[in-house]
Amino acid sequence: MSERNWNTDIIGFILPALIFITWYLVTLEGKVPGYLIPSPVNLVRVAVDFATGYANLTPYGGTLPAHALASVQRVALGFGLAAAFGLPLGFLTGRINLAKSSLDPTVHLIRIIPGIGWLPIAMVWFGVGETTTLFLVALAAFFPIYVNAAQGASSVSPLLIRAGRMLGASRLTLFTTVIIPAAMPSTVAGLRLGLGISWAYLVLGELTGVTYGLGAVMMDARMLGHVEMILVPMIFIGLLGRVSDMLLVGSFKRLDMFREESKQ
Amino acid sequence: MRSMHDAKLLADSISKSYSRPGEKNFLKVLDDIRFHIRESEFVSILGPSGCGKSTLLNILAGFETADCGDVACCGEPVKGPSPERAVVFQSPVLFPWLDVKDNILYGLKLKKEDRKESEDLASVYIKAVALDGFEEYFPSQLSGGMQQRAALARALVLRPKVLLMDEPFASLDAQTRYSMQQLLLSLHGKYRHTMVFITHDVEEALLMSDRICIMSKRPGRIVEEIDVPFERPRSLSLTSTQEFSILKTKIIASLMG
Ligand SMILES: Nc1ncnc2c1ncn2[C@@H]1O[C@H](COP(=O)(O)OP(=O)(O)OP(=O)(O)O)[C@@H](O)[C@H]1O
Ligand SMILES: [Mg+2]
Repeated sequence: MSERNWNTDIIGFILPALIFITWYLVTLEGKVPGYLIPSPVNLVRVAVDFATGYANLTPYGGTLPAHALASVQRVALGFGLAAAFGLPLGFLTGRINLAKSSLDPTVHLIRIIPGIGWLPIAMVWFGVGETTTLFLVALAAFFPIYVNAAQGASSVSPLLIRAGRMLGASRLTLFTTVIIPAAMPSTVAGLRLGLGISWAYLVLGELTGVTYGLGAVMMDARMLGHVEMILVPMIFIGLLGRVSDMLLVGSFKRLDMFREESKQ
Repeated sequence: MRSMHDAKLLADSISKSYSRPGEKNFLKVLDDIRFHIRESEFVSILGPSGCGKSTLLNILAGFETADCGDVACCGEPVKGPSPERAVVFQSPVLFPWLDVKDNILYGLKLKKEDRKESEDLASVYIKAVALDGFEEYFPSQLSGGMQQRAALARALVLRPKVLLMDEPFASLDAQTRYSMQQLLLSLHGKYRHTMVFITHDVEEALLMSDRICIMSKRPGRIVEEIDVPFERPRSLSLTSTQEFSILKTKIIASLMG
């Protein structure tokens, strides 16, 4: 058993290792100019410098905390807004036919428009930068959260609902003590999708021009010709996205019990 | 003639039809069902599959409404589900996100009873169904029989006026079913709950009940009521006596109609 896991772990590392080696060899030979693809060694040095400012290799030395904080705040606020609207509306449309028939068609109509399509009009309404970014993040993250919360709430087993009612739950307590917990697996899946999309639209929004933020650094570095500083923020965005996903999943850890149950 | 007023649970000419998918006419499931159940009585409802037993129980519980006829519990008309008429379903239907203890406390919490008292009461019933030591297990970590015992404790802890059970042991293996029957017999001996017990198993009905209502094939009607004369406390050995087999034969004949 453990041997097999060990093998699959190794297999998973082969492709990244090959890519890394090829990348290193390509830059070593000098076949590709450094301003297109920097060497991995250089990239790591710039990344460490971005985080700590130990050698001031670029104008961005030591500024990672400020930029990362700005980005994280935007994601938190935009994602929070999306969840604040998406969860209650999703639960309601999942359970109440009137809410579904009055809300669902409109939401799905708007959902067809790709999120990027909102960029120009958002810039007209909110100007470049801060508010536009928030708007895009919140709008894009709303849909998966809403759809999955509704899906989860509408597919709660009718037997669980009967059990709750016969044990004395009123309509409202039924919602909070049975429907929402039972809808959790689907809801968390929606939140994870929404969080992932939040990071994507964060970068889009930040590229339009904000002072602080990882996306802003990328755009700025492009103009100043620091190719490393285009790639390094990409890596940090990936890391932050992964960490935020792990935090989200971790905070719903009790759910594992639930998953075991539904497997039966 | 029994008085209508001492009835704990009263079903008065209940009928129910369902629309058939894709057809205009109706499927009559229950036809003029009437019975009444006295305090502390253990009544089984026995009938062939599809005769409307679950439909009847759902109406008694208040999950569904009859087309005509009334259900009354302690003289009050039944309008919807209530902890007064607790239900044990065929499958356990525990809340998978709550552990055994919280499942059993769920109804008590809604009653807003004193927390300490509730906890004490819960542990009494956890002991009664022999789940002590498993309070912090989640339903998925229990066997089917243990889950059904937790569901039983969840209903009993509310001290319902009537306990409604829909083939609660049908999905269990033979051994577990015997021990659940023993458990229910001893709990009934101890707490004297009024019970409506649905089953299609003749031996089970005879072993457990004071009275058996036999239902006909669809549309379900009560064709015969049989008083079960055996002394309590009862045990499994009762099933091998001659009186038992005579009564069993009689019931089977009645079921075959
Ligand atoms: N919601 C419903 N809509 C339409 N028909 C239904 C509905 N519920 C039950 N029926 C029909 O009513 C009849 C009786 O069903 P019910 O579940 O009460 O039978 P039962 O006696 O409990 O059977 P079993 O012993 O197999 O559990 C069946 O023919 C079923 O198809
Ligand atoms: Mg049934």
